[in-house]
Amino acid sequence: MATSPQSAPPTSRRPSGISRRLLLTATASALFVTATACGSAVNTADGSSSDGLITLSMHNPDSKTQDPATWQMVQEFNKQHPDMKIKLEGQPVDQHEQRMTIAAQSGTLPEIFWVYDSLAKTMVKSGDLLDLTPILAEDNLKAKFVPSMLAGFRSGNVQYGVPYQALVTGFYYNKAILDEHKIAVPETFDDLLAAVKKLKAAGVVPITQGANNSSFSVWAFLTMLDRFGYEAKYQDILSGRASYDSADFLRLYKHVEELAEAGAFPSNMNTQTYAQAVASYTSGKAAFLDAGVWEAAKIQKSGVGKDTGFWAGPTFSDGVGNQKLVMNVPSAPFVVSAKVKDDKKKYAAVKAFIQFYYSDAGQKILVDNAQPPVTTYKPSVDATKNPVFAAVLAEASKPGWTSPKAQPDLVVSAATASAMYDSFYGVMGGSLSPEEAVKNVQKTIKQVPAVTP
Amino acid sequence: MNWLTTRRHFALMVAPALIIYSLYMICPILYSLYYSFTNFDGVSAGGFAGLDNYRQMAQDDAFWTSMRNTGIILGIALFLLIPLGFLLAILLSGRVKGSGALRALVFAPAIIAPILVGLIWIFILDPKIGLVNAFLLAIGVPAHPQWIGGPTLSSYSIGFVYLWQQIGFVLTIFYAGLRMLPRDVMEASSLDGASRWQQLRHIQIPMLRETFGIVTALVVTGVFKVFELVYALTGGGPVHLSEVMVSYMYHITFTTQQYGYGMALAVVVFVVGALASAATFLDNRRKGEVR
Repeated sequence: MATSPQSAPPTSRRPSGISRRLLLTATASALFVTATACGSAVNTADGSSSDGLITLSMHNPDSKTQDPATWQMVQEFNKQHPDMKIKLEGQPVDQHEQRMTIAAQSGTLPEIFWVYDSLAKTMVKSGDLLDLTPILAEDNLKAKFVPSMLAGFRSGNVQYGVPYQALVTGFYYNKAILDEHKIAVPETFDDLLAAVKKLKAAGVVPITQGANNSSFSVWAFLTMLDRFGYEAKYQDILSGRASYDSADFLRLYKHVEELAEAGAFPSNMNTQTYAQAVASYTSGKAAFLDAGVWEAAKIQKSGVGKDTGFWAGPTFSDGVGNQKLVMNVPSAPFVVSAKVKDDKKKYAAVKAFIQFYYSDAGQKILVDNAQPPVTTYKPSVDATKNPVFAAVLAEASKPGWTSPKAQPDLVVSAATASAMYDSFYGVMGGSLSPEEAVKNVQKTIKQVPAVTP
Repeated sequence: MNWLTTRRHFALMVAPALIIYSLYMICPILYSLYYSFTNFDGVSAGGFAGLDNYRQMAQDDAFWTSMRNTGIILGIALFLLIPLGFLLAILLSGRVKGSGALRALVFAPAIIAPILVGLIWIFILDPKIGLVNAFLLAIGVPAHPQWIGGPTLSSYSIGFVYLWQQIGFVLTIFYAGLRMLPRDVMEASSLDGASRWQQLRHIQIPMLRETFGIVTALVVTGVFKVFELVYALTGGGPVHLSEVMVSYMYHITFTTQQYGYGMALAVVVFVVGALASAATFLDNRRKGEVR
């Protein structure tokens, strides 16, 4: 029944003056609390904290277990610099990217943070990032890097980023499973296809992959793209002088289709996550895992650690250019908020952290946590204690093999990278034909131009 | 006159809620509308793009797939969820032993976070490790349908899981409606010799017309907010074939950093959802007036 002020039942008495004041005070208090809460949320988001002079924001919610190298690095830095304490925080990759984007919009970026290069390029275009050239010039820190490790994070004369870790990617393989089925470690694509057929017939998952909310997990296939001439072509493709929808790339996607048709991938590839794919490998259910050096420590500790080797991926008789490629490139960068230069103490802390991170002591911490160094630091790894990590390092430095300058998805826009991931998973899962896959990527490239700061 | 009923005081009391509502609901909608006409990338100021984002949408196969999938879930909700919820409410409103426990059991999924519902159903529908295919295998059925993760069945499976999650909620509203019906009408019809079916068709359903309207409005608006189920079950894959409108909008905005295009998608989701809700409310009002 509808009511109106006139038909409302009369109250026994009017609210007293005190009640009115109470009511108004309560309303005002509620508004104040809301405003204060919103205000404090903004403060939290900007990374400033009473727990640290500066904040390092990462792409892992629990760095201690998920990124122990960075966690230990910060602990060690804080121990050595009690007056420059760093607060380490993080969230999952997607949320982190989203949060950094919002923070950039509101001018509340944390002092140092990890971010995908495509987003970093957008930020440098907007003037949100600090030029690190003066910091790298001090004590000749720049000389510690192989030039290619810094080149990808430069825009004109501005060095907007420094490599967080090295990205060595490929296939982990279970030697015990291969031996059991009398399969030699593959070298060429034909070897791999033959191995897949044999493993599939024996009821073993040949290559474990997980696409659910982790479509980016196609690292080994991105290296294959470089074996079909991607590095030489991508700038022409992005500028419209060449097309991703080319005969060369189509050949690669047809090879991926051959693998799919041979049963290379698990039937639940689209519903399992990357983490589940790793678990499938570490529990001995799969022969190959598409991943990178960041999984070395976990695999080492698992039941398959003693049987695991690392392979840079297949060479192709119909490939384009150098086939002896191993992906050993800088991963997404660390970048610094441009606002840091306005605060001398914060600037000093950022500088000290960067110098510590890339010092030999800092790089040793990376190596101790099964991460390859990103400087010229020569690690000594005990292969008997860390055979998986040693296998990755050995593959990455195989004589006669070279690395592309960057991983293919890290030199294009986020939309194009996403289209590239989809193109591989689409063909692997049979949702896309090779022709559709290359066309889809080309369509995205045309629609969303690359960010060129 | 009551202190609250004076216009000045009424406005004073309504103002805080109105300000907060405008700040957090109206302004974002207007902002989204504005950004949908730009090529904003999330960080740097985007230039004016006119209708480019809307043109891109018209040519975007994944967008149309997400529309179709949302339509499938809406169809399942309208033609299965509401009738089944009503049927269950009828069954449980009778003098059935243990009906209270049964109601609680049916309602239980509605209080589980949708993301957890998705995770639970992965273990049931997954083509490799799921219970359904394990059962099919156990009874000798050789086929292993890809209930989720395949190109065809995923959206139907998501619709079914949505039904499972929401049916307790729908049942509860109908159950409350049934309990509110005057008993004397039912008793009089019984004395007049009306069958159970006649009571249902000529008394209960007409008298519950408003309840049906409310449930339909809630279900329609709910379908346009489905996100977590898709996120957990398939992540929108494979290759966006199981995306719904909201999950696709999220992907475009936050994964591919096309904020302008993402906001255009958000505007369309809002308009389609608002139109569907408005149609439901208008239909309810029309039926109410006819009655």
